[in-house]
Amino acid sequence: MADQASDFIRQSQAMAEQSWSQWMRYLQQAAGQTASPLTGFGMPGMAGMAGMPGMPGMAAPGAPMGDMLERSLAGIAPYLEWMQRAASAQATVPGTDWQAAMKELFGAAGQPFTQAFGGIDSTAAQGFVQQWQAWLEAAGQAGMTDWLTPPHLPGFGLHREHHAKQQSLMAAMMESAAQQRRYQALILKANTQGLERLQDKLADHVEPGRQLDSLKALYDLWVDAAEDAYAEIALSDEFREVYGAMVNAQMRERQLVQEHLEDLCRQLGLPTRSEVDSLGRRLQEVRRELRAAAAGQVAAELAALREELRVLKASRPTADGVPAKPVSADRPKAKATRTKTSARKATSAKARPSKVKSTAAKSAPAVEPSARAEGTVASKPKPKPKPKPKPKKVEAEASGKGGRPRPSARPRRAAAAKSVPGARRSMVSPGIPAPHRARRK
Amino acid sequence: MDTPLRIDPAEALAEINRFQRKLAAGLRHLPGMGEPEYANTPRELVYAEDKLKVWHFTGTRPTARTPVLIVYALVNTVWMTDLQADRSLVRNLLEQGEDVYLIDWGYPDGADRWLTLDDYLNGYLDRCVDAVRHRHGLDAINLLGICQGGVFSLCYTAMHPDKVKNLVTMVTPVDFHTPDNMLSHWVQQLDVDRFVDVMGNIPAALMNWVYLTLKPLRLNQQKYIGLVEILDNPAELENFLRMERWIFDSPDQAGEAFRQFIKDFYQGNKLVRHDLSIGGRPVDLGLIQQPVLNIYAQQDHLVPPDASRALGKHIGTQDYTEIAFKGGHIGIYVSGRAQREVPPAIHRWLRARD
Repeated sequence: MADQASDFIRQSQAMAEQSWSQWMRYLQQAAGQTASPLTGFGMPGMAGMAGMPGMPGMAAPGAPMGDMLERSLAGIAPYLEWMQRAASAQATVPGTDWQAAMKELFGAAGQPFTQAFGGIDSTAAQGFVQQWQAWLEAAGQAGMTDWLTPPHLPGFGLHREHHAKQQSLMAAMMESAAQQRRYQALILKANTQGLERLQDKLADHVEPGRQLDSLKALYDLWVDAAEDAYAEIALSDEFREVYGAMVNAQMRERQLVQEHLEDLCRQLGLPTRSEVDSLGRRLQEVRRELRAAAAGQVAAELAALREELRVLKASRPTADGVPAKPVSADRPKAKATRTKTSARKATSAKARPSKVKSTAAKSAPAVEPSARAEGTVASKPKPKPKPKPKPKKVEAEASGKGGRPRPSARPRRAAAAKSVPGARRSMVSPGIPAPHRARRK
Repeated sequence: MDTPLRIDPAEALAEINRFQRKLAAGLRHLPGMGEPEYANTPRELVYAEDKLKVWHFTGTRPTARTPVLIVYALVNTVWMTDLQADRSLVRNLLEQGEDVYLIDWGYPDGADRWLTLDDYLNGYLDRCVDAVRHRHGLDAINLLGICQGGVFSLCYTAMHPDKVKNLVTMVTPVDFHTPDNMLSHWVQQLDVDRFVDVMGNIPAALMNWVYLTLKPLRLNQQKYIGLVEILDNPAELENFLRMERWIFDSPDQAGEAFRQFIKDFYQGNKLVRHDLSIGGRPVDLGLIQQPVLNIYAQQDHLVPPDASRALGKHIGTQDYTEIAFKGGHIGIYVSGRAQREVPPAIHRWLRARD
């Protein structure tokens, strides 16, 4: 038995030598030899992935393939490390204090999975602001804390505005860092509570026959426990408040940084984000106005055409040569309308591009010209005839009850009144057992 | 003292060995693996405007008289509906006899920063619907809205009732204030105006980060540990990578539309408070009289079932059907069960109303 144990430790140490970094070195070499495209996955910037300038976690364009792979697989490395530690932790030996061992494996500061939780706040959400904060923290460690948290000093003279902006930015950075710490404290709390939940869950497995027999099973149980704890905290009122405060503080900080940079750009004669945004906004407003104007014109044209058609129909002689119905009262109006319509048509045809015109000529006028002018409509080679309208047939659904024909739009009060105990409402759950099915009452 | 662990040291060692071997063998497969392709069911472009495209799926002769236009969410890409040959909603709907169209919203950039919900719904979507109606010479077509696209479809139907014949919503949030809605919970105290003013368009990477933090350990770590088990299986590995491509190849969000969506839906919950208007038009679910099929996922962590089921309480139509799918937000499109259950159920329901 003793030999077996010492063999195990020896083998475990040998295993540890085949560490993650060795695998990665091997793969770097392999990737360098093949120089082939490397499939990546996961979220850039997640746990364990060092940030690159500009975008945390993004690999530089010239990064070696192995480096990219290491980033992609960063989530696996802590697991491998943990397995090796768990295998030699003696937590599995009967008689040992397994609860203390679990704390060691899952709760100790610096253990591999702390990063998985702690790392969720360190990605694209922050960008360069995070780097700025890192710089500030470094400055603080260098003894510049007095400068970082100065009492508010009123500014004077030519540089008054610049001075005030700098102070606002510093205050926003401090605020953002403070909110970040509150958030991290909650994440840490989730980690701690996850461990407590794991111990509760493990307590259910003490009985012989229910014991866990693999490291993966232990890991999966920990994930369940930690996710449960995290979900409970993430749905708490405290988390909601902290989360909102953290994001708002980050945005305030980022806003001031942007203003700072825009000031600089203006001084250098460079265009700024605000200017581009203003142009974009104006352009979009103009597009809306154009579209609305075109739609109004089309609507007027359509109404005029309808009127013209009505008049034509009414004035068409019947078999006995008599107009279908007296139109004398309408005639003068109809003439005027028709003239107006023709003028509109000519104007409208002129305004439209020829491509649109030909499309419109070929196909039924269901799409407004304004829409065609916006986009490209592929005409269908053989337009289908419009189906003859027929009374709506409502078949019985799962409820087995007959439906009613769909009424036209009704006042909401009436709709609400009818929507109570539905005649034809049903809840169907195909493929799931009967208890999951329920009929709406 | 009894221990809940019965892990033989030698077995633990063997387990680590197996893991390392699998990892080593599998990692050799990764270099050189190309970008996994989506199903790419044959399709033709029938309408394009700015960055959006409307695709018509071809290859089979539809038996349905009324075409169905799929309205996807602005987040992620539409190719979840046509992920791979044996996991494709559109392919299955085609096989059932439906005539399927799909709006691909494209990837917004700075030029789209000022697009509002009005621009999306009463502009883009309306013109897409018109394009399909026009092709078929129909007054009204069927809409199939997915997630946020389901919300859009509901709003559109309320604003343009004459153009929609039947409405199918899938994993669609309606009540945004159910207690288990984590996303909603997190944005309640967000200063959305400042957020959008500062960020402009909302980067896809940020959106993905938020989704991953809904289940940080499962989605950032456990999933990739599970990957090691399939690294030596090329077919499964390709499926995994295809899904990774879909998850992370996602569009940015147009800033103004995002601002409105968060304020009116997530924060204001105006859809169920009957207090919503888009582009000056009131949006009242109580006025929707079209037949509605509402499909939700029982294990949906993004759109909790109660958030979807709320539609039944607020919709005006008497022809309302709910289907509960045993699966999650994504599984409803790509799981084996989904292929067997969801498209046939949609087709049966539509056929009865065609």
